[in-house]
Amino acid sequence: MARRTKIHVGLEIGTSKTCIVVGEVKPDGAVKILGIGVTKSAGVRKGEISDFHQARACLKDALARAEDSSDVEIGSVFLSVTGAHMQGVNNRGVFRLPNNHEAIEMEHLEEARDMARDVQYPTDHASLHTIVRRYLVDGLEQTASPIGLFAKTVEVDFHIVHGISNRIQNSIKLVRECPLEVDDIVFAPIATAQMALDREQRLRGALLIDIGGGTTDYALYLDGSIAASGCIPVGGDHVTNDIHLVTGLPFSKAEKLKILEGNASSDPALSVGIARLTDENGFADVEVKRAILNEVIRQRLEETLLLVRDRLPKDAVESIGAGIYLTGGTSLMRGFSELAFDIFGRDIYRPEAPENNDLSHPSFKDPQFATAIGLIRYAQIIETETQRPPGFFGKILRLFWPFGR
Amino acid sequence: MISYSRDPKEEIPTSAVKILGLGGAGSNMLERIALDSIEGAQLISLNTDIRTLSASLSKDKIQLGLNLTKGLGTGGDPDLGQQAVLEAEAEVRAALKDQKIIFLCVGLGGGTGSGAAPILARIAREEGAFVIVFATMPFLFEGSRRREQAETALNQLAVLSNALVTFDNNRMGELVLAKQGIHEAFGAADKMISESIKAVIRLVVKPGLIHVGLDELITALRTTRSRCLFGSGIADGKDRAAKALRNALSSPLLDQGALLKDAQSVLVHLSGGESLTLFEIELLMQNLQKHVPEHTQILFGAAIDASMGDALSITLISSLPEEALTSSTQNSHAKTAQEAAKNISSPIEPPQPKRPTLKLPDKIVPERPQPRLIDEVFDHLETKATGPVSVQAQDLKPDTQSSDQTAPPLKADSPPAERPKEKAHDRPFAEPELISLESPTSPLAETPVAKPEVKPAPPVITPPAPVQITSAEPKPSVAEIRSEPAATSAKEPKVDLANPLQLKTDSKHPVDQDELSFKKTPRGRFEGENPNVIDGEDLDLPPFLRKKK
Repeated sequence: MARRTKIHVGLEIGTSKTCIVVGEVKPDGAVKILGIGVTKSAGVRKGEISDFHQARACLKDALARAEDSSDVEIGSVFLSVTGAHMQGVNNRGVFRLPNNHEAIEMEHLEEARDMARDVQYPTDHASLHTIVRRYLVDGLEQTASPIGLFAKTVEVDFHIVHGISNRIQNSIKLVRECPLEVDDIVFAPIATAQMALDREQRLRGALLIDIGGGTTDYALYLDGSIAASGCIPVGGDHVTNDIHLVTGLPFSKAEKLKILEGNASSDPALSVGIARLTDENGFADVEVKRAILNEVIRQRLEETLLLVRDRLPKDAVESIGAGIYLTGGTSLMRGFSELAFDIFGRDIYRPEAPENNDLSHPSFKDPQFATAIGLIRYAQIIETETQRPPGFFGKILRLFWPFGR
Repeated sequence: MISYSRDPKEEIPTSAVKILGLGGAGSNMLERIALDSIEGAQLISLNTDIRTLSASLSKDKIQLGLNLTKGLGTGGDPDLGQQAVLEAEAEVRAALKDQKIIFLCVGLGGGTGSGAAPILARIAREEGAFVIVFATMPFLFEGSRRREQAETALNQLAVLSNALVTFDNNRMGELVLAKQGIHEAFGAADKMISESIKAVIRLVVKPGLIHVGLDELITALRTTRSRCLFGSGIADGKDRAAKALRNALSSPLLDQGALLKDAQSVLVHLSGGESLTLFEIELLMQNLQKHVPEHTQILFGAAIDASMGDALSITLISSLPEEALTSSTQNSHAKTAQEAAKNISSPIEPPQPKRPTLKLPDKIVPERPQPRLIDEVFDHLETKATGPVSVQAQDLKPDTQSSDQTAPPLKADSPPAERPKEKAHDRPFAEPELISLESPTSPLAETPVAKPEVKPAPPVITPPAPVQITSAEPKPSVAEIRSEPAATSAKEPKVDLANPLQLKTDSKHPVDQDELSFKKTPRGRFEGENPNVIDGEDLDLPPFLRKKK
C-alpha cells in the first residue's frame, strides 16, 4: 500500500467523447476524483482513431479542461484502448516438475507461465495484458501463488488480451504528441470493470457490457478472475445510422429521435403511434412510426447483445451469479435492460448517474466516466502489485530515499 | 356505484352444457377434460365396453347395448355400435334433455364411435341442443377399412351436427416431437380437444364485454355440412397478444392461417384477465387482418375473466363450405362416390334431423354394408382402369370419359422412373373413394394422398423444360388444374398443394441473388469504410434491413 498520496490520471479516447479523469489515491487506498475534462470526440470511429489530427485537437482540449478543473499539471496518463482488433483469449500452461523436485519453485512457475503466455496470435498483434486467472496444483485450484507447495504438476491459467500493435502504438503516439507520457495501456472493458464490479461480484460471476458510441466492450468475470473479454465494433452510432438508413432522416435528427423517443423494449404497447420531433417553432418536424423506430433500435441492440453472448465461453451465462452490469451511453436507451434480460436471463444492473454530482465525493461513480475512473483504480492496483517485489535497484534506492515509499 | 346486468337471455347456464365421450377414445378425451376441470359442464361417458366405462372419471355413465354386447366392446363393428345406442336410446334421450349445448367427443374408426356417434348426434339435436362434434380420425396404419368406417361416420356427422371439428391422428406428429412417447402424443391431441371445448364454452357461457353468443357461433359455422376451422391459443407475459394469435394459428386445423383465406366469416373471441388492454385487442386484430381477406365478416367478442390471471386466450372459429365440395361433379371420384352414396341412400343425402327416430337406422342397418362393399370394389376397379392419371387428366379435359384416352400419352410423358412407383405405392392406401370423401372432411389428411397427384402436374404442362420452372409458374398452373374441376370447393386443397411447390422453388431463389448485395446498399455514416463483417454479416448495415431479406 502506498504510504503517500499519489495522483493518477485516466484517459479514454472514446468514439463519442474524450475524457480525462484526475484522481488522487490516498494512503489508505481511497480514491478521490480531483477533476474531469471531457470533450466531444472527433476523428474516432468504432473505438479507433481515424483522423489523427482531429483526435489530437480533442485530446488537447480535454487535457486543458482536466488540468483546469483539477488544478493539477498532468504529466502522464493511463490510457484505455479498444477496437474490433482487440481479442481476449484464455490459455493454460502446464509444467510437470522434474523428478528431483518436490515443491514448486519460482522457475517452475515461470516455465508454466511462459507456456501459458505463448498464445498463437497473428504476427502483427501484440499482447496487451497477460492476467493470471488461477493456478492449478495437481489439478487443485490455488488462487494465490503456489510457490513452495508440494506438487507434481503446476498449471497456470492466463487471460491474454492482444491487438494489432500498430494501432495501439498510434494511440500511444497521439498521447505522446500532446505531450503526455503513457504509464500503461489498458483494454477498456478491463479498466471499466475495475470500477463497475467489486470483488464480491467478480467472485459470484459478473458480466460487464459497456455499450458506447462506437463499440461494445465486454468483460466476464467468473470465480473472481477474468474469463473473457472482447470488443464488438457496434455501438450507439450504429443505432443512429440504422435510423438514418431506414427512415432517411439526417443524422442529427436521427440521433435526437433516438435519444428522445427510442425504446429498445419489445413490448408492443410501447410501439404504438408516431414519434414526433418538433422544431424550434413548435411545428412537427419529423414523424416516424414508433413501431419502425423501436424495431430498428431493438434489432440492432438485440443483435449486438447476441454477438456478445455468442462470444462468451460455453455455459458461461449460466454461471453468472451476480448479474450483468451495463454501462456506456447506449445503455441509457429506454427498454435496454428488459432487452438484455430477455437475452441473458440474468439480473441486469444499469448504474444510474448519481444525483450528487459533487466531484469531491469519494465514491464518485458516474457511468459516463466509468472507464476513465476504472483506469485510476487499475493504476492503483498495478502500483500495489508492482511494489510488492522491489527490485534490486529499488532496494538500494530505498536506503537513500529520504521521503519513504 | 350502479351496476346493471346484461341481458340474461343471451347467456347460457353452465348446467345446460354437456360433454359426451363416446367409445374408448371418447372417454380418453373426457378424462383429459375432467382433469382440466371445465367448470360447470357435466360429463357423460357412453360406451359398450363396461370395463372402460367403469374406469371412466365422469360422473354419469351410460352403458350402450346392455343386452346386445353384454358389456363387451363392439369388436370394431359399427353396426353393432348403432344397434347398441338404439337399445339405450331412452336413457340417452333422458340424459340429453333440456341441454343447450352438447359436445360430443368421439374417436371415429372403431365400432362404438363410428356406429353410435351419428345416432347420438341426431338424438341430441332432436332434443333441441346445439351439437358440436369433436372427432378424431384413425391413423393411416390402422388400415383402410377402419378409415372408411370413420369417413362414413364423419359424413353422417357433418350433416347431423351443428359443427364438426375433426382432428386427424396422422397430424398428431405436429403436436409432439417424434421421440416423445405415444401416450404423450395422444395426450396432446386430447389436450387440444379439451382446450377447444373449453374455448367454446368460455365463448358461449362467459358474459362478454363485447358479447358473442350462440347466434354468432352459428353464423360462423354456418348451418350443415361445413368443415370447421378452429384455432385456440393461450399465452401470457409480454407480447402475449401476438403469441396467443400465433398459437391459435398454429393449430393444425388452420394450417398456419392459410385456410382462413377462404373463410366467409370468422368468429374471434378474446378472453383475458383484468389486465387485458384495448391496445392489445387492437394489435391482435391488426395481426389477424393479415390472415383474413378483407370482405370476410369478423364476428368479434371479448370477455374479461378474472380466473385467466395474466393470460390471454384467443379463439378463432370459422368454417369452410363443404356442400360445394361434394356437389362438384367434375371430379370423377366425387362423382362415383356420390353415385355410390345414392345407391345406398346413405345419410350423405340432405339431412332431416327431425325425422322419426327409427327410420334412419332401419335404412342403414340392412342395406348399407353389403352393397357398399360391392360398390367399392367397382369403384376401385373403375378407377384402377383409368389409372392414377385420371386426376391429372382433368387439367386437360375435365370430362371423365375422356380421361381414358388421355391417360396413355400422359403416362408416356412422365419422364422420371420413380413416379410410377410412387403411384403404385400410393394406390393401396389412397383408394379413389377415399380421396373424394376425404377432401371435404379433412384436407389436412389429404395432403399425403394429394401430393403425388400434383407433383406430376408441372411437368405435364411444361414438359420440355422442367428446369425453368420459376416460383411463379407452377402456382397458376395448379390453380388452373384445381379451379377447373371444382369451382369453389377446391380452394382449400389448392392452398395446401400450392405451398410445397412454392417452397421448393422459393428456396432456390435466394441462392442465386444473395452474395453481392451489401456493396451497393448505402451505409450512411460508415460509407466508404471497410465492411465490418462479423459472422458473415456486415454489422454496419441495419439489422432491420438485413433480416428482412
